[in-house]
Amino acid sequence: MDKISQSSIKQIYSNYFDIIDSFFGSIKHYLGEEKDSHIDLGIHMASYPLISDLILDAIGDLDKEIEKFWSENAKKVFDYIKTKETLKCIYSGDISPVILEDFIKRSSLYVDSVVIADPIYNLSIFQEQIILDKKYYLNKLIRHVFNILKLKDLVLADSKENILFILPINLQLVNSEERNILLGNANNKFSDYINSITNKKFANAEDSLSFFEKLQTSESVFNKIKNPKILPNIFQDIRLFSSFLNNFGDTGKYSQFGSKSTGWNFGLYIKSQFIRVQEHRFFCYKLKAEPIYDYELPWFFFNYEMGCGGVDDAIINSLQKEKFEWITKIPISAIKILRSENKLEYMRSLLRTSVTDLKAKNDKDLLEVSEQVEKNFKEAFKQQKSEIESLEKEVSDITKKEIPITTGGFLAGFVPYLGNVVSVATAGRDIKNLITKRSQTKDQISDKEDSFINLLMKSHDKK
Amino acid sequence: MTKNKMEIDFFGDGMRIFLDYISRQYKKNINYKPHPIIRAFECALHGMEKCKDEKYTMGVSQEGTKQDICQPYIVVLQKKKDVIEVKEIRNIKVDKKLPTDVMIIVFRLQIQLDKIIGEDVNPQQMVDALNTVIPGNRFYALGDRWKEARDLFQKNMKDGKIFLPEDFKHNGMVEELLSIKYDTPWEDYSNRLRSFIGSGIMEKLEDKNIQVIITSPTNSKIQKYKVFDSAIEFMLGKSADYLKPFEKKK
Repeated sequence: MDKISQSSIKQIYSNYFDIIDSFFGSIKHYLGEEKDSHIDLGIHMASYPLISDLILDAIGDLDKEIEKFWSENAKKVFDYIKTKETLKCIYSGDISPVILEDFIKRSSLYVDSVVIADPIYNLSIFQEQIILDKKYYLNKLIRHVFNILKLKDLVLADSKENILFILPINLQLVNSEERNILLGNANNKFSDYINSITNKKFANAEDSLSFFEKLQTSESVFNKIKNPKILPNIFQDIRLFSSFLNNFGDTGKYSQFGSKSTGWNFGLYIKSQFIRVQEHRFFCYKLKAEPIYDYELPWFFFNYEMGCGGVDDAIINSLQKEKFEWITKIPISAIKILRSENKLEYMRSLLRTSVTDLKAKNDKDLLEVSEQVEKNFKEAFKQQKSEIESLEKEVSDITKKEIPITTGGFLAGFVPYLGNVVSVATAGRDIKNLITKRSQTKDQISDKEDSFINLLMKSHDKK
Repeated sequence: MTKNKMEIDFFGDGMRIFLDYISRQYKKNINYKPHPIIRAFECALHGMEKCKDEKYTMGVSQEGTKQDICQPYIVVLQKKKDVIEVKEIRNIKVDKKLPTDVMIIVFRLQIQLDKIIGEDVNPQQMVDALNTVIPGNRFYALGDRWKEARDLFQKNMKDGKIFLPEDFKHNGMVEELLSIKYDTPWEDYSNRLRSFIGSGIMEKLEDKNIQVIITSPTNSKIQKYKVFDSAIEFMLGKSADYLKPFEKKK
């Protein structure tokens, strides 16, 4: 196998963005500055009758184009990622993270590369067929395309390791033999889980789904659950549970799966999660990567089935917790700075401090790990502040005591106070050294202030 | 863009989206022939290079043959310092300015027809394309129901429900009608006779939105560019005055 170079990977992604530009370039001027502007753009463009119809018609061959693109390039990128002996993570949970930029900011503090499934591939090839409302499809497509397009610079950045990979990841791409095994596993795990939460003994996935299909309200579904402790946290509160099922049912109306009953929606959602876990695990294994999520539900189901993988898994997913929202306030360019300073290993060891394998594996909700990570951040910021303060003091001392007197003398060729002690040449050299030292110390401060950890600290202080 | 408020430039966006589409088609096929509006646009833009400020340029393009010109368009541009203003896009056949919504429908029709390989379409493909881009499911392909239409016409004639217009006596339609036998194949009817008889099926159709019956025989080949003329005639031509295609039904 020929070794694939990073520059050829960069070229592949450059071509990928050219495809996006050729299909969506004509509306990108509407993309606002806000972080969620891709979500707004999807909603708005899909709501204008004439323009949305024209876009839908004009992008009708997007599926063929993207399929052709990946048929020529997917293997190269897969092989490239597979051979990388770095910390890689594959995202799963939604078509793409809600705000990819924020997701990358959080995860790239710890991992070398994040891999996400190509939303264009998944939407135009698989989802377009099952979504009944074409405007809903367009809304989703624009939203996810622009979510990625915003990070074009980062994908094409010249960093030691690629920060973000986009790949065609879908269960349908797995050969039928392996796919059937994965689906069989998912069905069994689903059925076991339903038996555990209901204290029933359903023989298979179909029986489990049929049981729930008869239940019309969230309350009736909730009442059938005898073991709520093994539900995700947000399902343990009836109010949040109902709200989730209502939203899920609303989304179902747009797809061919429909929305038969509230109970059926619940069963379908749980089943889909077990399938997703199988798919995710499969691709993580193939690419020698770790799983990563941007919200609790998909993490819960992966953790329920596989358990937490250890320190790395726990920290990676802790960083996505709400308490680290402040990380998203750093400018995206800071990620490039982190990479250019080669500080990723430093960040990793910093965040790993006091997080043990045992702690990670027993911390299902990642509460302990995230607290420890927060402490580690604070400790690093404290140290950073103290280093800057000490350097500032050093500059101040040089400035106050030495520079005003000797500089004047040096420039005039006359040294009033030192004439009897040192020669002009020596005084000049010492003054020059002082100026150089002051300048170097100032540079050190400037470096420290522009450093990644300082940018991070500023975001933290602003929260 | 202001959050929650986005002013869409229907003309500009429509044009840009369609131009992107055309450029992708060029990449796939260097012989791809863009719609006459775009060709007329290119001509007008070409003239703009040497044009002085505030002056106008005009581009013309069409399809069809010398004897049967289809889709004739003129595009008028005006140079205004650093910008070019589109003053008018006019369909010369119906002699009307093309409103932005109709322009977008024409672009969509082009995309629909591009999906069909070759220069021609059959009546059902024509109807499907028109119904996809013109709201309201207004078109219907008569297809094999022509026999039903013929029998209905015969019955209505017998019942005295059809009154032939006076000019039928002078334009040969009466003779044509008389020459038709019961077993005459639909292909042997003249176009105007097919249209006259076939349209009668309208009263039997469940979908009351349908306003136009395409009476061409099932296997006939219709040049794609003629489909555009049918669309424009329906939306802007004389028949639009009667059919009022975009008027909301009470």
